[in-house]
Amino acid sequence: MRVPLYIYVLIKNKRFMLGLIIFIVIVGMGLIGPLLYPRDPLTRGTKYLPPSLEYPLGTDGFGRDVFAQFLYSIRTSLAVGLITAVIATALGLVIGAIAGIKSGLVDEILMSITNIFLAVPNWLVAVLVASYLPVEYRGPHIIAFLIGLFSWPWFARAIRAQFMSLREGDFVALSRIAGYSDIRLVFEDLLPSIGPYIVGSFATFMATGIAGEAGLAMLLSTETMVKYLSLGMMLFWANYFLAYVTGAWWLFLPPGITIVALTTSLALLALGLEELFNPRLRES
Amino acid sequence: MTKLPIDRTMVMYIAKKVVALIITYFIAICIVFILPRLIPANPLATKLQQIITYYIYKPELVPIVWRELLNIFQFDKPLHVQFINFLRRAFVGDFGISVDMYPMKVMDVIAMSLPWTLTLVVPAALVSWFTGNIIGAYAGYKRSGALESIIVGYSFIVSRIPYFWLAMLLLYAFAFSLRIFPVGGIYSSGLKPSFTLEFIVDYLWHYTLPFLSIYLVEVAGWMGSMRMLISGELGTDYILYSESVGVKDSTLFKYAYRNSLLPQVTGLALRLGFATTGVFIVETVFNYPGLGYFLARAIGALDYPLIQGIFLIVIATVFLANFLVDFIYALVDPRIRIGGRG
Repeated sequence: MRVPLYIYVLIKNKRFMLGLIIFIVIVGMGLIGPLLYPRDPLTRGTKYLPPSLEYPLGTDGFGRDVFAQFLYSIRTSLAVGLITAVIATALGLVIGAIAGIKSGLVDEILMSITNIFLAVPNWLVAVLVASYLPVEYRGPHIIAFLIGLFSWPWFARAIRAQFMSLREGDFVALSRIAGYSDIRLVFEDLLPSIGPYIVGSFATFMATGIAGEAGLAMLLSTETMVKYLSLGMMLFWANYFLAYVTGAWWLFLPPGITIVALTTSLALLALGLEELFNPRLRES
Repeated sequence: MTKLPIDRTMVMYIAKKVVALIITYFIAICIVFILPRLIPANPLATKLQQIITYYIYKPELVPIVWRELLNIFQFDKPLHVQFINFLRRAFVGDFGISVDMYPMKVMDVIAMSLPWTLTLVVPAALVSWFTGNIIGAYAGYKRSGALESIIVGYSFIVSRIPYFWLAMLLLYAFAFSLRIFPVGGIYSSGLKPSFTLEFIVDYLWHYTLPFLSIYLVEVAGWMGSMRMLISGELGTDYILYSESVGVKDSTLFKYAYRNSLLPQVTGLALRLGFATTGVFIVETVFNYPGLGYFLARAIGALDYPLIQGIFLIVIATVFLANFLVDFIYALVDPRIRIGGRG
């Protein structure tokens, strides 16, 4: 059986494979972990226990099992990344594609909107919106939704730029002569040519969502939000319990390392896909 | 220093940018105005409950604070009157009275905290930009050495560390384990802000860890992007030609460095807004009494006037910084002014 070229290129790419392995390991921890370690992350017991065989990552200031929290948090944070990425990619694709295929007034209007969204710091808008939500609606999933809602502009601009250069290609001209409508042109000619780029941007948006949720959780959470679990919420509690001044490293080290590992591995995946999309970037 | 190239194209360019700036700020104000009126769960009802419990020992203050709050939102007036009043106040900089820090004015809270945030974010952003560019350019120029691979790895991973997590690590290492830096604040209790040597040394001592937690991450980002830009620049025809006619190494480096610096200037503008939000979270970790510290407090206390005020001030600051960077960019690169694309 012949291996398709794109799979061959990706497998040969060491950085892409490294990213993929790290990502799969973390996803595995989030999906299978809670099944193998079925302890309730919210039950309270003895406070501030250091890591031991009984509690692999000790307990926090409420006496909750940190390892159980950690496994559930990975799951939530992955969901957070997915929500952000789906919303941001969809918005960016629709707006960028319409602006790129229709020129003139539609393009002008859409790009002005995009530029305004690009100028306003997107985290800050998310903070503002979330601060008006009642505390019980400030959970990780809503935050992820908000981040997705405000982080699409650069992607819309990139898609528009790609479409505008592809639009001039001979294959598009041929399709037009054959009587393709704009919609058919987008789905059959333009989108497939930038497929890897879209997947790569999806990975980038996932990283944005995961890191962004962690940051916003630090600013927006209050001490009443005990039932929410995510890597960002774990760091919020570490800050709340002043873990770094009391020496409780098990509260902030694991979630932080996981956030960095996740964002780095997603960046490696995005980079590998970009090299696939743009062969000039490939290492010889 | 040569004469500044201010001519007609430059004036037109600035005029266009100023108009765009005002329109964008206007839209930001609209967002701030519409949001609390859009969200179905009445935030003021929660706030009233909170005020009542908060002032339980001073019940005579409750109606006063409540009236202040209503006065800011003016929900009892028709919508267009509300909007015009809000707009007028936003451009004058009058955001009302803080609920959490009653009876301080929002503007006073901001005036008190903004300088501390700026002394943190501006030096960290600029120093990391300069040093990152130089280190990155050097690594890119000396292709394929151990130094380059270390820098590639460092910039790729460290630039993805959230500032506030690095802040926690630094606190754990230097404040808890080694006990050589304080755990937070901006100066030791007992000292008063002044320009004495004692105060400045004490301030810098408190400043080191917050500064490092931003600097170390930012410098990694600039190093990475500069290294890539320089290696791209080194493959261009003019560099290859200059090299073939025997131009000195240091001169070649200067050419490549100057040309690669341009995209980095735009990068700085884009990065500022992001860095500011990041700094806010760092401030909450260090109890550093800047805007972010008060923003987190305001969010916890549902102090809407203060949240709105801080939001608009930050937006205005980021816009102005962007404008400044655009202006510098147009000074350095004439192509920008006429709107040409390279």
